[in-house]
Amino acid sequence: MQRRTIVAATLLGLWVAVIECRLIFLQVIRHNELVALSTRQQMRTVDAAARRGDILDRKGRVLATSVDADTIYAVPSELKDPGGAVDALCRALGDCTSKERETLIDRLGKTRPFAYVRRQVSPDQARRVAALNLKAIGFIKEDRRFYPNKTLAAHLLGYVGVDNKGLSGLESTYDAQIRGKAGTVLVQIDARKLAFARTERPPTAGSTVELTIDEYLQHIAERELEAGVALNRAKGGSAIILNPHTGEILAMANEPSFNPNAYREFDELVRRNRAVQDLYEPGSTFKIVTVSAALEEKVMTADTLIDTNPGRIEVSGEVIKENANHNYKVIPLSEVIAESSNVGAIKIGFKVGTERLSRFVGLYGFGHPVSPDFPSESPGIVWSPQKWTQLGLAEVSMGYQVAVTPLQIVTAVSSVANGGELIEPRVIRAVYFNNRRYDVHPKVVRRTIRAETAATLTGVMEGVVSSEHGTARAAQIPGFTIAGKTGTAAKLVNGQYSHSDYNASFVGFVPSRDPAIAIVVVIDSPHGPNQYFGGTVAAPIFQRIAESTLRYLGVGQTINPIPPVLVARHDESSGAAALKTLSASKPVVSFVSDGPPGTMPDLRGLSAREALRAAVKLGLTARVEGTGFVVAQDPPAGTALDTVSGCRVTLARTSVAGREQPRP
Amino acid sequence: MPEPFEYAIKKDVRNNPIVREVDEARQRELWKLVGVAGVIVVVLLFFGWPHFELIRNGYEIEQLQRERREQEALRRQLLLEVESLKSPKRIETLAVGRLHLVSPSQGEAIVIERVVQTDPPARSLVAQR
Repeated sequence: MQRRTIVAATLLGLWVAVIECRLIFLQVIRHNELVALSTRQQMRTVDAAARRGDILDRKGRVLATSVDADTIYAVPSELKDPGGAVDALCRALGDCTSKERETLIDRLGKTRPFAYVRRQVSPDQARRVAALNLKAIGFIKEDRRFYPNKTLAAHLLGYVGVDNKGLSGLESTYDAQIRGKAGTVLVQIDARKLAFARTERPPTAGSTVELTIDEYLQHIAERELEAGVALNRAKGGSAIILNPHTGEILAMANEPSFNPNAYREFDELVRRNRAVQDLYEPGSTFKIVTVSAALEEKVMTADTLIDTNPGRIEVSGEVIKENANHNYKVIPLSEVIAESSNVGAIKIGFKVGTERLSRFVGLYGFGHPVSPDFPSESPGIVWSPQKWTQLGLAEVSMGYQVAVTPLQIVTAVSSVANGGELIEPRVIRAVYFNNRRYDVHPKVVRRTIRAETAATLTGVMEGVVSSEHGTARAAQIPGFTIAGKTGTAAKLVNGQYSHSDYNASFVGFVPSRDPAIAIVVVIDSPHGPNQYFGGTVAAPIFQRIAESTLRYLGVGQTINPIPPVLVARHDESSGAAALKTLSASKPVVSFVSDGPPGTMPDLRGLSAREALRAAVKLGLTARVEGTGFVVAQDPPAGTALDTVSGCRVTLARTSVAGREQPRP
Repeated sequence: MPEPFEYAIKKDVRNNPIVREVDEARQRELWKLVGVAGVIVVVLLFFGWPHFELIRNGYEIEQLQRERREQEALRRQLLLEVESLKSPKRIETLAVGRLHLVSPSQGEAIVIERVVQTDPPARSLVAQR
């Protein structure tokens, strides 16, 4: 008995000793190693990618946004039959090229622990691949950039690579702000690889950027430019709509365009933003600079007579002729611009002189980038005045020997439109960061000409469109005064001026006496039925863009304007007054221009539908009471919209003849 | 020699009436021990419960966060779809192609400026004049 006890006790002791030894080995000797191993198994550090900020238009409509997309990866070391797996994957993806198939076979044939199959696939493709239920195939979520309007403002917005890095356009310029900062997440997982705890260093979301672009105006500009380029069988073109008072670019269109959602499918030349990168000799549009220098320096007045006989001029042995061998004879300065006389412009240039003309060229911003929003903007080419010969001065006076971008020329003309201030053109309106809005304010660079000179020059430029001999009669819009200038410049091909390829352009602003917009249209190498002149090719495109834009912006006509509707405050008969005017004019479509943006508009006199539409356009919820027309509103007109989320409108039925009394 | 003869007389022991006396001291000790053990168990449970609850909540939070991420991703997908459908080019194509709408020509669309009458001066001001 005692012996048995001793044996049992010994065995028990040995068992305990072995366990103790093992425990000491595990918990003391291999402590650090095993703790590290368990941490590696249980804790996983995951990079939390920052979501790229959205790009919005001036009314908050989304131009670029990011959504989660599945990226398919493989664990090649676990794949037994890489060839079969690639076949199955390609069948599921549905659009594998033979090259991609070969690359995949090569990639999955290696004994790596990780290999991408395809990044950022569509939800359908991800579903089909997941349905294959392949063992060594997995999915990870990645941000993918989408441009819901496809080609709209493609050159301006740019595009983003698979690594979420902006590669072109604003996506690249403001990449640091839009991209945000990635964070890290420490996840604790169990044996089934399910996470049950996490410690986060959250990512900093990228800033949302609000542009000065208006989605609809951009559409108008692109639509008309595309139609104009197609009609004139041109290589391409650019159009810019600018607010001359603030420098805000409302639209920037280029043709041909591309879809940034699939940017790789387009040639690099197509992806180029012609409006800021392409240089061209402005031709006659540059005569605005020559004439403004003459007027500002009081060398001439708008009525100074200039002898352009006999329709050509010899400078340093070179003969420069008028277009189509015209002879305008003796004409005033204003007609030199209206008829675009080369001889007249050269004579004005000679009067102004190299020093003064070169100074004005610099004042208008030529030869330097004009906007910080476009780092790839070309500064243009302006020769140093010391290098200007007599022939050089003559050439510059009529817009040759200088190279500009469409953005530069419209910026210069905007300074005439706004009374003589050169305002930096910009495309960023505001930046949202940490739920705060940071507005970008207009920047006046310098004064180019005095307000009086600008007014005189505006009158001179009006003649280009309205004069009987004006070169841009095709730009006329009934009811509006327009100031502008056409340009037709032969292109330099292999160092020689081409006889077949021209740049046709038109730049102007409307309404000329209180400009709402300045527009430039440049068409590259037109070969269509309208020949190659700025007045026949670019001016009609300007006209169509301007007409739609004015209607959209609610700018009333300036020639024989329609009498405004007087809406009396607290007067219930105002509805009837509004009805009277409305019924008298009988428009098919009416647009109502209201107070400054950012304030509650006056809805009185509108129908319920119109009032609701106006409220919805401002992002407000509207409650309607009664029937008929709006007689009262809450909040009242002029209230800052920042503090308003909804509005209430009271309707009452009134008759034009006053037979029916409005409801109390 | 005769073998010794043994008589075995069964002693009738009646211990039924004997009642085992309760050892109150041991009983107290036992209960004390049970009490202490109970307290230890409760204390252990008290300290262990939050830990298990923490793990359970951790799973729940992870699940909810995953759902939130999925919902957020879905929201963004739907927003993208809405923005794609609202594209001016698409709307114009539908309006012109399907509904045969046309842009208003000159004269068919006019802009009417609305002027709001200014308030009359306060009565007191009128009186002062």
